[in-house]
Amino acid sequence: MTTIFTCKDQFDDMMTCVYEAWASRLGHANVRLKTEPVGNLELFCEYRHVDADSKKTASVIRSIQKKISPLAYSMIYKAAMSDQEDKLDAIYRFVIAGFYYGASVTNYLQESVVMRIFELNRKVSNEAHYHKEFLRFANLEHQVLVSHIEPKANVLTLVAPHFADRLPSENWMIIDDTRSLAIVHPADSKYYLTSLTQKEMDRLSRKTNDPFTELWKGFFQNIGIKERRNPKCQRNMLPLWYRKHMPEFH
Amino acid sequence: METVAFELSLQEKLNILADAAKYDVACTSSGSSRRGRKGHLGNTVSAGICHSFASDGRCISLLKILFTNECIFDCKYCLNRSSNDQPRATFTPEEICTLVTEFYRRNYIEGLFLSSGIVKSPTYTMEQMYQAIYLLRTKYRFNGYIHVKAIPGAPEELITQMGYLADRMSVNLELPTTEGLAKLAPHKKPENLVRPLRHIQDHITRHRLAIGKDPQMERSNGNRYLPHTIFKENPYQRLSAAKMPLLSSAASLPSADPSVPFVPAGQSTQMIIGATGENDLQLLSTTQKLYQMYDLKRVFFSAYVPLNEDAALPALGTAPPLLREHRLYQADWLLRYYGFHAEELLSPDKPNFNILLDPKCDWALRHLEYFPMEINKASYADLLRVPGIGTKSASRIVKSRRGSLLDFPHLKKIGVVLKRAKYFITCNGKMMHRIPIEEDFITQQLICTDSKKNWEIDHPQTYRQLSLFDDFHFQAETTIEDTQKTIWGQL
Repeated sequence: MTTIFTCKDQFDDMMTCVYEAWASRLGHANVRLKTEPVGNLELFCEYRHVDADSKKTASVIRSIQKKISPLAYSMIYKAAMSDQEDKLDAIYRFVIAGFYYGASVTNYLQESVVMRIFELNRKVSNEAHYHKEFLRFANLEHQVLVSHIEPKANVLTLVAPHFADRLPSENWMIIDDTRSLAIVHPADSKYYLTSLTQKEMDRLSRKTNDPFTELWKGFFQNIGIKERRNPKCQRNMLPLWYRKHMPEFH
Repeated sequence: METVAFELSLQEKLNILADAAKYDVACTSSGSSRRGRKGHLGNTVSAGICHSFASDGRCISLLKILFTNECIFDCKYCLNRSSNDQPRATFTPEEICTLVTEFYRRNYIEGLFLSSGIVKSPTYTMEQMYQAIYLLRTKYRFNGYIHVKAIPGAPEELITQMGYLADRMSVNLELPTTEGLAKLAPHKKPENLVRPLRHIQDHITRHRLAIGKDPQMERSNGNRYLPHTIFKENPYQRLSAAKMPLLSSAASLPSADPSVPFVPAGQSTQMIIGATGENDLQLLSTTQKLYQMYDLKRVFFSAYVPLNEDAALPALGTAPPLLREHRLYQADWLLRYYGFHAEELLSPDKPNFNILLDPKCDWALRHLEYFPMEINKASYADLLRVPGIGTKSASRIVKSRRGSLLDFPHLKKIGVVLKRAKYFITCNGKMMHRIPIEEDFITQQLICTDSKKNWEIDHPQTYRQLSLFDDFHFQAETTIEDTQKTIWGQL
């Protein structure tokens, strides 16, 4: 009989979940891991919910960094931000392989468990990079910059360091509309992650009249060369679903 | 020239000067890596960041504008030449600074690309541009990417000063041969174009030596494993750290403060394709020579879009040679990342690229003696010669095969393009299918896979999906000739 360990879709919970599954001593072949919501329940399975425990989380993170490598940890972290259902189980299998091979495990792409983490990591990193490129700030009153994104993966913590370095002396926030999470960065201090209530979300989604948005649209119209028009290439480089919050396409 | 009587709004100026700048190709923000600073705005990322893509599919990374589109020169190919009747506009330095900082705060752009028409004199123009950049860096505390054109003919001190503020500088050579330049840009002298290139290169070298770096610009990391790149086998190389250990001490060099970098992202240039009769070999060897002689970071190609009517130029309405431009860029990548030399790709008896095949496939088909190559044994440098294997997949192959032997399904997952590579490789001694290593056979197979894609590059807009419900007006209207033909019984 298979035991399925489940936990909330947050990094700390996931790491504790890995710890519990390992410590249960049921055998790697007999356990599976999944993030909640679980969806359709399976027959002949036992479900065990796991809550985050900071000590267990810290010990898992420490052993990944020490026994495998910091690179492996960064790949696992990014994979954990993915929206794919099998991500937690993939992380567990990768950790098993990692403890066996050591630091070189990240090179062995012919192993299917390594390949899966590699793919998840690539997908999330690419999406995070796209959001660094394409997210747009709107200038609200009092020189506060607000950006809305609707990412598939949970990329907020991956894009935040980039903007913290770039705009250190600006007040800005990036809001994940689908998860109601936000990175808030007050000028000249550290940023933090927080969740927003519906009321706050509504207040922050108001449209503003910004003269520079019009200037930017004008620039965008004029910079393209008509004789070379190529919408297919444009869609390739800048897929349609990213354009929802980009002023130049509205 | 008529002076404009009314004052233009900022929006109108931006529209005019962005429109005038759009034919400049370089819009990259790469090559410079600088952390942000408190109280300043911006940082730079070494790989560069694109912020949008224009309707022609080209990346918008920098705010690409001209300082002014008024010009005393009359280059035949240029939209802003003095004999054209164009709306003219000029920014003030303050306007440029506001646009850059406000766009940057909103994450619209990665920095500024500033070029200009020549007003009054090259010196005056360069002074105006310097003022704008100086304000931007000091008063507006802008720490992002700045790419400035060096105006040929401007005094060297001014260019040097600009170099300490900019990340990248460039001079457009426009045409690869002296004859072409004399024909189309009679005001531009080749010596004048090359002089600022050399001047900037000297200063970059000096600064790099002062801070203890190799005098040559950094190239792609993978080039370390390639023994014969154009950068290593460089007949024009002037200095190397190995040959001159003494020079690398800062004391022996009269240089400004070494903590202020000088053009850290290097230089670039651009050449027009298809306006004059140069062949691809001339273009590519010039490109290679520019990399070797002036240590440029990039050479850009721009398919000529006819804008002016002139006997010396292709007629208006001629389609820009996009596929040719694409082939040149492919070859440029082969030079910079794959260890190829221009002479390997083209020769005087075959001076132009194959329309049907990319340069690497074309090379491989002429050198079947190297193939098939064994994936589990070949060196990184050899793997890069296989069509369908790029720098990423080659390094992944080299790393992962230390664990266990690789097979075709692994290669597919790793990112090798098997539809091209399968004709040239073996895994553990076996090819993917029974494939004869024959030039004719493989050529035919490869041409079939790529023909549609090649056609689309040259015809970006004409492609249309057939549908049952659209009326395509297949029947042409009857012309006078048709009527005549029916009378004579030909139809």
